[in-house]
Amino acid sequence: MLDRWLFQLKEKEAGEVQLVMRRVFILPTRPGVAFVGLLLIMLIGSVNYNLGLGFVLTFFTGACAIVDMYMTAKNLAFLHLAPGRAQPVFAGDEAQFELHVRNTTPRSRYAVWLGFQDEGAPRQSIDVAAKGSAAVVLSRPTVGRGWLAAPRVRLSTRFPLGLFGAWSYWQPDLKVLAYPQPEVAPPPLPTTGAAREDGYGTVGLDNFSGIRNYQPGDPMRHLAWRQIARLHPADGGHLVSKHFEGGAVSDMLLDLDALSPQLDIEVRLSRLAAWVLEAERRALPYALRIGQREIAQGLGEAHCAECLRALALHGKEGA
Amino acid sequence: MIARLSGVASRMTRDKADTLLLLVAAVMVLAPHFGHLPLWTSATVCLTLLWRGAITLRGSRLPPMWLLLPVSLLAMGGVYLTFRTLLGREPGVTMLTLLLTFKLLEMHARRDLFVVIFLSFFLLLTNFFYSQSILTALVMVATIIVLLSAQITFQFTGAVPPLAARLKLAGRIFLIAAPLGVLLFVGFPRIQGPLWGLPGDAGAGKSGMSDTMSPGSMTSLALSEEVAFRVRFKGAAPPQELLYWRGPVLSNYDGRTWTRIGQALYPIAQLRLTRQLAWNGPSYPYEVTLEPGRRQFLFMLELSEPASNIDGASAFYTNELEQLVRASGDKRLRYDSVAHPGYLAQPGLEPQALERWLQLPQGFNPRTLRYAAQIQALRAERGDDAAIAAVLAMFRKDFEYTLEPGRLGRDAVDEFLFDARKGFCEHYSGAFVYVMRAAGLPARVVNGYQGGELNPVDGYYTVRQSDAHAWTEVWLGPQRGWKRFDPTAAVAPERIRTSLAQVLPQEAPFGLQGLTRLARDQVSWLAQMRFGISAMNNAWNQWILDYNPNRQQNFLRALTSAFGDWRLLAGLALCAGLALLMKYRRTERARDPIDAAYLAFCRQLARHGLDKAPDEGPLGLALRVRQLNLPREKIAAMTGFLELYGALKYGAPAAQRDNEPIARLNSLLKQSR
Repeated sequence: MLDRWLFQLKEKEAGEVQLVMRRVFILPTRPGVAFVGLLLIMLIGSVNYNLGLGFVLTFFTGACAIVDMYMTAKNLAFLHLAPGRAQPVFAGDEAQFELHVRNTTPRSRYAVWLGFQDEGAPRQSIDVAAKGSAAVVLSRPTVGRGWLAAPRVRLSTRFPLGLFGAWSYWQPDLKVLAYPQPEVAPPPLPTTGAAREDGYGTVGLDNFSGIRNYQPGDPMRHLAWRQIARLHPADGGHLVSKHFEGGAVSDMLLDLDALSPQLDIEVRLSRLAAWVLEAERRALPYALRIGQREIAQGLGEAHCAECLRALALHGKEGA
Repeated sequence: MIARLSGVASRMTRDKADTLLLLVAAVMVLAPHFGHLPLWTSATVCLTLLWRGAITLRGSRLPPMWLLLPVSLLAMGGVYLTFRTLLGREPGVTMLTLLLTFKLLEMHARRDLFVVIFLSFFLLLTNFFYSQSILTALVMVATIIVLLSAQITFQFTGAVPPLAARLKLAGRIFLIAAPLGVLLFVGFPRIQGPLWGLPGDAGAGKSGMSDTMSPGSMTSLALSEEVAFRVRFKGAAPPQELLYWRGPVLSNYDGRTWTRIGQALYPIAQLRLTRQLAWNGPSYPYEVTLEPGRRQFLFMLELSEPASNIDGASAFYTNELEQLVRASGDKRLRYDSVAHPGYLAQPGLEPQALERWLQLPQGFNPRTLRYAAQIQALRAERGDDAAIAAVLAMFRKDFEYTLEPGRLGRDAVDEFLFDARKGFCEHYSGAFVYVMRAAGLPARVVNGYQGGELNPVDGYYTVRQSDAHAWTEVWLGPQRGWKRFDPTAAVAPERIRTSLAQVLPQEAPFGLQGLTRLARDQVSWLAQMRFGISAMNNAWNQWILDYNPNRQQNFLRALTSAFGDWRLLAGLALCAGLALLMKYRRTERARDPIDAAYLAFCRQLARHGLDKAPDEGPLGLALRVRQLNLPREKIAAMTGFLELYGALKYGAPAAQRDNEPIARLNSLLKQSR
């Protein structure tokens, strides 16, 4: 509570945030405290031995420490912070939060440390050139599926002399979607009998019928690399995909309710996630039904992402 | 040079280059100490630094603890053997240098780096025990900057800028800190030290005038160009021949050595000067800054009122009109006084009190005693003045002034007066007092300095050790009291009117006579330079080294009264205002020209009664602009401006931002006015 008031910890701040001076806090570091002790000893020595130059040295180095305080604060202040992209991950993996730090001032910033506030010592440091920007990726392990909001970020710096430490807090408006963790050894894909008669297992491999222009949604593995390589970029070299005919239209439906209700819901979601990946790997079109929600049959990255997202958010807020 | 160094450094790994920079900083701190460290310590420090450098360059491991610990203990033992103690200033400095050197071999964590740098700062301070010259200060500034650079270097976590950039940053920190440092130096409340008793070695090895006089005691001083003190007359200065700076008064003679009576100290406040002293004629207020040295006589222009404003010390008067001070001799001392060359000193002394200035050792100098008998007869016949004049006339007739009078035997005065007939101030004054006493006139020797060289640059008189002098005082009855007689002036009058060093033939080696004469010549450019340097040194002493509580008070008072002046305040306010205006203008110019144009445009719109909503974009604004009741071409210019602004601000960034669209923007802005 005190922290919240003292350090003006804010809730999520949308968009780009500028670290104004008010948000930058500063305290002497341990070497800084030692330095104050040194200055005191030097002052006492100068008084005792009446060293005129000793006073000069003491006061000038003291003034340097004060300038260091100012420079340390300025090393952090007026940086612009913006959340970057956040790629979905599978639960249990590290969620990667990309953060952008932009420096609009003509001074280069060095040795700015970033880390999550609740983690203690920061792990990453960046330099931000004058009028430049830098990106940093902070990771944090995910535990369960669903949205994982980025924790509060603590920026700190001790540059240039290390006698003072300045820090600032920022709650980026950034969240990562954690898909259910795919089951490790899932049962075989649930295929209907009708589909099996069509021999879906060989579809698309035998009935190659030619190539056509790449269309968004074509699976990566169907790209006709050999043809792509032959097309000179000057001729408008573009992507082409292999086209398959006689592709079996198997009605693979991955249905949450079809799984034994005795299984834990998380286990069932994990199994569905594993199946989605498996189907995607084998290029088998599939549909997904979770309760009331139904995703029509499809294939490809976008379809896969949509299915996994539905699985991740099943029963969660903001689904 | 720096570029080449950083070129070398960039070929090294970063760690190596960083450590080498720290080593350079440590060398800069340690090197000035080599002059006063024991030889073995300097050797150990040098060898260890070389070893450290080799370790860094080769990239080998630092020595293990089991090796370092015995070596450090051995060094500690060496310090004890050298000084027979581990306490005190010299052993302390020696141990600190060794500590820093060995610490360089034991650097593992970031904390150790700070320890090394902080130790270096402290060692930098201890160097001022030995030297506080301007050159030392310059070296100090350079060392601070290198130390700061080393400290900065260890703070980088990513790319490290080249050495030149780091030095520049450290220099910038120092430059920004400088005004603040000056402010602290001037304004920080000063306490008069010492806070505790200084260790005995604090004032050792300083030269200065002793409080005895025996053959040869002045010679060492006469050849020293060291500054004894500096004087500033607050008004007109008295003529050169009146510049007698009174020091110890020597009344006792044992046949060889003159010594002080040395008793009866009176705090100046208690001395009833009015009964013993009377001032006549012009008065000369002045301020003396006494250099550190053997203590502690306050050298006063004959004769002066009691010294006042003595920094942190109290002065005492003796019966012989000496002024003494209780203060350690290791710092400068500043005091004020007023001189009255036309004085009447102690005319009311009782005959029994005068006895002690008539005493002579028994069984010495028979020839002088015979001569004194003649003088006494003369005195009885024609008075005191005639007797004294006769003695001075003898000196003037066939005596020679030289710093190499040759050895004198048991009857020193006899040999001087009748055989050698050459000598310098101590011989003349001693012999003169001897004759006076033998002739029945109370007399004594006064030691001090005579003359002083006016520095035309800052108006200070510099009195050097070579200006050391001995003269005499004779008590001439209740009407006249003590009067000064300088028998040396009878022999070498130019000694009094100029200074000793000019009288003595300069024994320049290799026939470089001309050069030394040149250095003594007031008009030559060399002399000008010498005066300039001397003035600079004096200003340094007055304002940096001797800026003590007293001085601080006076200065701040002067500053306050100066700031009370409205003209100065107004001038400062004007300067500050101008500085702010410049800064404001610079930020104005620094702003994005597109934004600036847009802001100006919005202000124009407001005059037409159209206020931009905070969330309104340029295109939305353009829709509303079209509904304004204005000429068509003006509307066109306005919407054109808004479109262009939108394109420039939010469109794809041009590969190269040129000024052409901005110029167009500004012309549209003008049209839509």
